[in-house]
Amino acid sequence: MSIFEYNGSAVVAMVGKNCFAIASDRRLGVQLQTIATDFQRISKIHDRVFIALSGLATDVQTLYQRLVFRHKLYQLREERDMKPETFASLVSAILYEKRFGPYLCQPVIAGLGEDEKPFICTMDSIGAKELAKDFVVSGTASESLYGACEAMYKPDMEAEELFETISQALLSSVDRDCLSGWGGHVYVVTPTEIKERILKGRMD
Amino acid sequence: MKLDTSGFETSMPTIGFGSSNDMLDGFSTVPSFDLPRTTDFDGFQKEAVQMVKPARGTTTLAFIFKEGVMVAADSRASMGGYISSQSVKKIIEINPYMLGTMAGGAADCQFWHRNLGIKCRLHELANKRRISVSGASKLLANMLYSYRGMGLSVGTMIAGWDETGPGLYYVDNEGGRLKGDRFSVGSGSPYAYGVLDSGYKFDMSVEEASELARRSIYHATFRDGASGGVASVYHVGPNGWKKLSGDDVGELHYHYYPVPPAIAEQVMEEAAAE
Repeated sequence: MSIFEYNGSAVVAMVGKNCFAIASDRRLGVQLQTIATDFQRISKIHDRVFIALSGLATDVQTLYQRLVFRHKLYQLREERDMKPETFASLVSAILYEKRFGPYLCQPVIAGLGEDEKPFICTMDSIGAKELAKDFVVSGTASESLYGACEAMYKPDMEAEELFETISQALLSSVDRDCLSGWGGHVYVVTPTEIKERILKGRMD
Repeated sequence: MKLDTSGFETSMPTIGFGSSNDMLDGFSTVPSFDLPRTTDFDGFQKEAVQMVKPARGTTTLAFIFKEGVMVAADSRASMGGYISSQSVKKIIEINPYMLGTMAGGAADCQFWHRNLGIKCRLHELANKRRISVSGASKLLANMLYSYRGMGLSVGTMIAGWDETGPGLYYVDNEGGRLKGDRFSVGSGSPYAYGVLDSGYKFDMSVEEASELARRSIYHATFRDGASGGVASVYHVGPNGWKKLSGDDVGELHYHYYPVPPAIAEQVMEEAAAE
């Protein structure tokens, strides 16, 4: 098992009609042993940009703290929130700075840009951005997630339907992965509200 | 090590670029990469990533009590991190009064248990009486000992009822054979032992013992990533074995720890109006 599979994780983001959904599992483990079932992988940068980090848990927490710091500085200087595309470029630059001793995590970034247009992207551990129009996945369950999302995704879904789709995709994928699961955490973000929900999943 | 950083030089120093210390946030004069201070540049990351190979991914247990032998197991098969099946039969019926559990290589366990079943039947035909649990486990242990070092992976328990009463033996691919009252085998066994050892009494009824076995398997599936699926519980009594239950552990969790019905509260936040 590689270092990326040491803690176990599953993260997915999907685009809907003027909204997006971002979901993760809740397990924190040390190889096969489960330590916690309420690990926070998705973090809010500001009301319209969310980042979820998969991979080594210590780097997930440290990288998140660094990004929040950089965004706060940006807010002080520019007196406004960062656009999701700009934030993605910031994350990519911060990851590449550590090219020869990288942060061992893979971020998934989701946000609402200008004109309420949803934006999602994922990156590898050294900052290679991968933009997508429909969905992005990351983590130990990523192969199952690709399959489930490909099968279940439809374009232009409304918030409620998007929530159902992303939840089913996440739960069915983590049920095929030893290292992720033990519940789910979903945020559905529209221009007017942020809805956070915990999913009841298989606890094995 | 002098790297070519000419690609990064600009006329104006950029804020924070290349500086590892965000806190300073000063103007860095020479943009450069942080390099790890090590003599073995290529190998140091590889060393940091060396991980121990995980043990047999499963949880099986068996214990002797007043009314016979209780045998239980999960049903997950994993290949590294991937779950290849949630419905594997890990309790193998050698004959109507003897059970074997499967841990380690599935093919190895299935084949050798079937082979043991054949040998037991031949013994019955030759000697006009059933083989004892002690004899059957010895046959298996000797067979596995002769294949020692060839890479078989078998961690099994032979449970049965013979003339001397209930019998339980642990046999593994090294050729080891142990007689005992309580065993648990697999990557989830430490968690199962915790629940099994603290709840065990010799004087238990069949219901109490089966609940203890089910609970032990459930707790192991919760904590161990390589165990899960269905918790099967079998009982071996004087008249042979009987399957008592096969409960999906996903449902068992909410049966043991029901979620209190939530008050209809939803987090509603106004997105920043910008």
